[in-house]
Formats: sequence, C-alpha cells, structure tokens
Amino acid sequence: MDKSITWKVGLIIAVVALSIWLLWPLNKKINLGLDLKGGMHLIMEVVTDEALAIQTDMSATQLKGLFKDGSIKHDRIMRKGFNRIEITGSLLADERKIKDILDDDFRDWTYTIGGNLISLTLRPNIEQQLRDQSVDQALETIRNRVDEFGVAEPTIQKEGLAGDKLLIDLPGIDNPERVKSLIKSTAMLEFRQVISGPFLTEEAALKDYANGLPEDLEIVKTNPRRLDKGFYVLKAATVVPGKNLRSARRAQDEYGQPAVGFSFNNQGAAQFEKFTAANIGKQLSIVLDDRIESVATIQDVISGDGIIKGRFTMDEIDDIVLVLRSGALPAPLKYIEERTIGPSLGADSIRKGLMACIGGLLLVVLFMLVYYRAAGINSILALLLNMLILMGIMAYFKATLSMPGIAGIILSIGMAVDANVLVFERIREELNLGKSPKSAIDAGFKKAFWTIFDANLTTVISAVFLFQFGTGPIKGFAITLIIGIVASMFTAIFVSRVIFDLTYGRRKKLSKLSI
Amino acid sequence: MRIFKEEPKIKFINKRYYAFALSGLIILAGVVMFFARGFNMGIDFSGGTMIEVSFQESTTIPQIRGLLNKINLGDAQITRIGNENKFFIKTLASLKKMNLANAVKMEDIEEYEIVAREIKTGIMGAEEKNQVAAGKIDLNNTAEGEIARFLREKGQNDEDAQQSAKIIIDLRKNASGIISDFSALEKAGVKHKVMAVLRQNAFLSKFTFLSVEFVGPQVGQDLRRKATLACIWALFGILVYIAFRFKFLYGLSGVLTLGHDVLIALSFILFFNIEMSLQVVAALLTIVGYSINDTIVVFDRLRDNLKIMKKDDLEAILDKSLNQTLSRSIFTSLTVLLTVLSLFIFGGEVIRPFAFTMLVGVIAGSYSTIYQSCAWLKAWEKYFLKRKKS
Repeated sequence: MDKSITWKVGLIIAVVALSIWLLWPLNKKINLGLDLKGGMHLIMEVVTDEALAIQTDMSATQLKGLFKDGSIKHDRIMRKGFNRIEITGSLLADERKIKDILDDDFRDWTYTIGGNLISLTLRPNIEQQLRDQSVDQALETIRNRVDEFGVAEPTIQKEGLAGDKLLIDLPGIDNPERVKSLIKSTAMLEFRQVISGPFLTEEAALKDYANGLPEDLEIVKTNPRRLDKGFYVLKAATVVPGKNLRSARRAQDEYGQPAVGFSFNNQGAAQFEKFTAANIGKQLSIVLDDRIESVATIQDVISGDGIIKGRFTMDEIDDIVLVLRSGALPAPLKYIEERTIGPSLGADSIRKGLMACIGGLLLVVLFMLVYYRAAGINSILALLLNMLILMGIMAYFKATLSMPGIAGIILSIGMAVDANVLVFERIREELNLGKSPKSAIDAGFKKAFWTIFDANLTTVISAVFLFQFGTGPIKGFAITLIIGIVASMFTAIFVSRVIFDLTYGRRKKLSKLSI
Repeated sequence: MRIFKEEPKIKFINKRYYAFALSGLIILAGVVMFFARGFNMGIDFSGGTMIEVSFQESTTIPQIRGLLNKINLGDAQITRIGNENKFFIKTLASLKKMNLANAVKMEDIEEYEIVAREIKTGIMGAEEKNQVAAGKIDLNNTAEGEIARFLREKGQNDEDAQQSAKIIIDLRKNASGIISDFSALEKAGVKHKVMAVLRQNAFLSKFTFLSVEFVGPQVGQDLRRKATLACIWALFGILVYIAFRFKFLYGLSGVLTLGHDVLIALSFILFFNIEMSLQVVAALLTIVGYSINDTIVVFDRLRDNLKIMKKDDLEAILDKSLNQTLSRSIFTSLTVLLTVLSLFIFGGEVIRPFAFTMLVGVIAGSYSTIYQSCAWLKAWEKYFLKRKKS
C-alpha cells in the first residue's frame, strides 16, 4: 500500500469518526420539527407602521411643548399618516425661530416650509431603524411571555425578507386561543377619564355629538367578558401611560374576588394623585389593549397602588399579570399563519417517513447489487457513509428535521448513487474499449468527474432558489438536499475511488472487474 | 448484469416530431384543464382553514357534510384519507357566509380561527358538548402541556401531572390519536389518585383533530408570485451555468427541456387534482435542478463526439451520443425513481403530493432528455453547427 492511500483512508476514518461524534447521542442531536413532534406554529407580522405612528405622536407632543415655550403662533400641530407631522397657521413671522427649533431638536426629520404649512417627514434611515427596533423589541417581549408561560424549547425568530415577520414555534402546545391572546396582547394599559356611558350601541354613544365626535374624545368598547356589553365615550388622552407601571401581581378586591394588582413608579404615582384629586366623583376607566376592562368612580385621592376589578378567572388574572410584567409590545401584531399539529399525526409521520427511508434504501441497494455486483457493494458503502455525513452535518448546524426534510434525505439516497452509476458506466465503457481494469477505473473516475460536478451544481442552483423562497420546513428540505449532494461528491468520487484502490490496488495482476 | 450488451443503435432524432406531438398533447390537455377547473389550491396559496380529523367509529363524508351543513359550511371540501376514518376538511368560508358576521369585526386570520372553532364544535356530538359545558377537558384533543397544567390546577404535584400527561400522549401516539377507554390509561400506568381526578374532570371524545391550520389570504398571493419567480430564476440560473460550461444553445435546449418537464408535471397535477402546496413547489424546483442532470451527461458526450465525428451529419452524432449514454440516463433516473416510489407508497398522506410530483417529473425528465434535449439542437442545426465551426 502506498503512502497516498494511507492518507486517504485516514481522512475517511476521520470523517466517519467526526460524523458519529457530532451525531451522538442521536435523540439529543437531531431536532424534530413541529410537524413531527406536534405543537403550534405561528407567523405574525409586526405592524411597524403603528410603532412609527406612536413615535411620531410623541415627537408632535414634544413640538407642541417647544412651540408653547417659544410662544410661536400657530393653528395646529398634528400627525399625518404614520411618519409625518404637519404644522398649520401663519407661520412666516416666526420662521427663523421655527427653523432653529427644527434644526436643533428635530434632526431625524426633513422638513419643507410653506407660508401656512410646515411639514416634517421622518428620514428614511431613521424610519428603518425604528421599524427594526420595534420588531426586535416585539421579539424580546414575546420571548419573555413565552418563557414565563413555560413552553419547553420554543423557537422565536425573525422571518421574511422585510424582517418584519416573526416565526414562533411552540412544541407541545395546542391550546391556540390562550397562547395567542397571551402573545398578541399589546399590554397597553391606560387609565382614561370617562365622559359618558355605557351605551348599548356605537350609534347611541354618538347621539350627543351631532357634529361628530370632538377630536379629544373616543368611543371605546368594553371587554364583553368583563363588563356588560357596551360602549363608553372616553377622553382620548391617557391619564397615566402604561410605561409608568412598576409592577403587577395577583390581588383580591374587597369581596375576596380575584383582581389584578398594580403599582406605579414615582412619576406615575404623582400624575395619578394629581388627576384623582381633581376628579373625585367622576368615573375612571382602565383600558387594556383598547378594551375597557373596568370602570370605577373615583372615591378618594389615589397615588401608588391600585387594583383592576372585573369578572376575572384565575387563568385570566395570571395572563394579565404576565403580559403587564413582560412589558408592552411596541406595535400590534397581525397573524399571518397558524398551524397546530397534534402529537399523534407527528408520530405517524415519523413512522411513515422512516418506512419510506428504509424502503428506498433497500430498493436502491438491491438494484446496485444486482446490476453492478461487487462494484455495487462499493457504492453501498459510499452511500451509507453519505447518510452518516449528511446526518452529522445536520446535527452540527442544529438543523431541524421535518417531513420535507425526511423527503430530502430519501431523495439524497437516490441522487447520491447517481454519481456511482455514472462512474461505473464509464468504467464499463472503457473496459469495452479493451482497456485494462486498472486504467479503466482510472479513466472512469477522471472522465466522469466534470459531468458529475456540472450535474450536481445545477441541482444546488435550484435548491438555493428554493431555500430563498421557502419557509421553515421547505428551507429544511433545500438544506438537506444541498448537504446530501455535497456529501455525495465526496463519497461517490473520493471514497468510492479509495475502495476500488483498496480492493484492486494490491493485486499485481488484475484481469477481471466485477462491475 | 447488463441491459444493453452492445451499444444500442436506436434512431431517436427522426422520431422527434412524434415526441413533440405527444408532449404537446399532454401540455395542451393540461392547459384545457387549467381553464376548465384550475388548480386545487391548498391553503398555503389560497388562504383558509384546513383541518385533519380522525374518528373512532366509521364515518362517511355525507355524515360530516350533514354536521357542517348545520353551521352553514356544507360546501367545505371534505376528502377521505386512504381507507381510514380520517378526513381533510378545507374551507375558504368567511364568517359572513356562516351568518356569524355579527361577531366583532376582525382581522383576516382571526376570522379563520373562529371558523376552525365552529367546525370543532360542529363535529362534536351532543354528549361531548355537555361534557365541555361542564368544564371537563377532552383528553383526545388536548396537548401534553395543557393536560399537565390542568392536573396541577386540580391539585396534583408536578411530577404526577407531567408523568400522567406523558402517558396519555404516548397512548394517543400509538392509538392513532384516539383513546377509547379510561381503563387503557390505568393499564398504561397512570396512578390511581390521578385516575380519580381524570374520571371526574376529563372525558374521551370519539374523534381527534390531528391538525388545524389556517393561513391568511394575503400570504397566498405573495407566495404565488414568489414561487413563480423562484422557478424562473432557477431556470435562468441553470441556463447561464450551462451556457458558461457549454454553449448558449446547449443551455437553451436544456432549459426548454426542463420547462417541458415542469409543464408535464403541472399537467398531471391538474389531471389528478393534486393539491398545490409549498411542498409541490419544492418538488417542481427539485425537478428543475435534477432533471437537467442526464441532459448534461448527454451534452457532455455530444461535445466530445462533435470533435471525433467531424464527417458525420448532426443527426448521426446526436443519435450516437444518446445511444452511448442511454443506460446512464435510464439508470440514474431509475435510482431516484425507486426512492421516490418508496416515498409515494410508504411516506403517507402528508408527503404524497410531493412524491407524486417528483414521480411524474423524474419520468418526464428522463423521457425529455432522450427525445427532446437533442431534438432542439437538431431544430437549430443551422446556428448550432455554424457556431461549432467558428
């Protein structure tokens, strides 16, 4: 045996050892996809426009303050769309002052000045930055909530080209309603003053406002599970925003009924105290995610702590406390897709996938043995090694195995021996031309190489496009296919050659090949 | 073993018009089907609700339709899976159609969610409805985590709750989803004190939802566009690669051959009313990448033969190349065909549309390599040979 063979055999043993090491123990290294183990799969879109609108509102409020401080005459400052602010009025007199303010404090905005109208637009790069931030923040908040809810091994990640979609995989869960309301709740807790109500219908609430609802008022629905169905007219502005909340906990009301307890931070407490002192006897509503959860009459000055009363069940209390603690979502979420797979379907798929795998393997092995005899054994060894490497690489990348992934593995079995077939056929052809076995093997591998390379590369090309197009499981399929093809280049060309060299290389006289 | 003891001498090229006619006919029939019936779009593309449900007792499609009629969903698409008591229920129905429109105005997907919930309760029998109303949980339709939570709430300790939930789910995995009797739980090792809680607070319904999926309508359109683009880009990528490795006309014939394979596969999808889903698109793209392989083998040989057989005419060279590589074309496809066949037979309902598409695509690919890839070159003989000389 010459030196180069020793070196090659060493490399193959090293690859085998590495693959086994990567794979061991099997059940811990191969992650099963949701379609195989059951669970819930969600894709949501973060409505980043809303997050921008909130940001723009805050800037508009800041601008109002600055105009007031500088006593600049104007009619109105208001948000237009989600990323623009418009200032109206006869603004020419104070143009210098306005420009100073905008140049100093509103660097994230571009503006155009006309006689009666100044319009500010958020700079595109800042806009993108805010969008990205809101998606990241949403991801973080959802992760907190899912962790607190106690789901084992959840997957939460960004998805989609625009990066504004979130993929959430929750194994072992199939109570979509509860989990979803938990995830989706923006947890925007607001305390708002009640003007009138309750009304049975929205029309009834509007009756007092023949000229339409004034801009600082809003009609808000009650949460039908908590209060009698209806609508209230509320002040649009919130007394204390939810971000001033310090903590939330389980509590009881004076009758021992479950309630949600909360406390404010110092700033919130001060604001709340001021408001309640000025409005004793009036009604206050607690609004969670745009639904009124409870309405109470202010009896006394309240500062630091409070409770939300309502007809809550224990589960609901836990969920509300959880979302209040995990922080508010920066923007609402929109469901795009939801799939819930029960555990028995997954188990069934695994059984059938395994069966198809074994069936395919047996058929291919049988064919190679019958058709190529001893050389068939060579290709089977290469094929088994291919499978081992494929699984090893998948384990290394922590790839998730789903049903399409299994299909990819099965296909790889068929495709991997293609390279063997091409080489063997070429060797046969060279033998027919009267070449000696050794030089036929040599020529066979050499001449088939570029054909195999070209053929495999085209498959990789379309698998790459598939990867780029697909979501979750389809991506898994594309990856399996690509890894399988790359591994087959190694096994069918390199390993198979070494096996030939090992079996025939040492014989001085070789007159016949079993192929 | 050898199929061809000697190199075959089949004249493929002069039969090219028959081949073009055959493919043309199949594709034409496909086009007719497309306009007559269109694709059976899965919810990946159309949006909607798709439920897979399994019944304990023998059930028929009309029975299910009867139940769904009561909730105005009689026109849902119901398909039996194999010979079992398992069914797919697919619907695009909106709440408006179900006379539930007075429910709160909702975003698209939530609407589908309510539809799914309506179907669930629609399928329940009277006794099961009573059990749910009494606050009991259905062990055949509740997840492991939820069962454990429930048991903890009923005063069981963590370990017991988790262990019992696991036993229940494992039982369901083996009993194709439905446990018929509480005694089965006891036999499987659920503790007595847990059993007492379960008997009082849980029940076993006679069906189970194997999967519930819904997709919002806006995704589908986006996906349709993306799928088409992915196919076109893959074809283009292959065209460029072959043009780079061989010559432009090789690339063009290769891609035309591939386009043919995809069209044939799509035609058969239409004939057999196979559901269009993401996995079918994956199969189509795999065909695009794979079925070019044997074409490349032929082109490779053709390139060599063009150098050796300078005196022969193109038709003879093409035939020679095809014959020399014939066993290769057949057997490389055969190995993949064997694995796809195994997937089709054993892989189950979930993956069958994928296996079907691959099956048609691989056969079409093998046939088109032999009868079409070179025939295109023959059709462009004038340009092809001129280029060769230069």
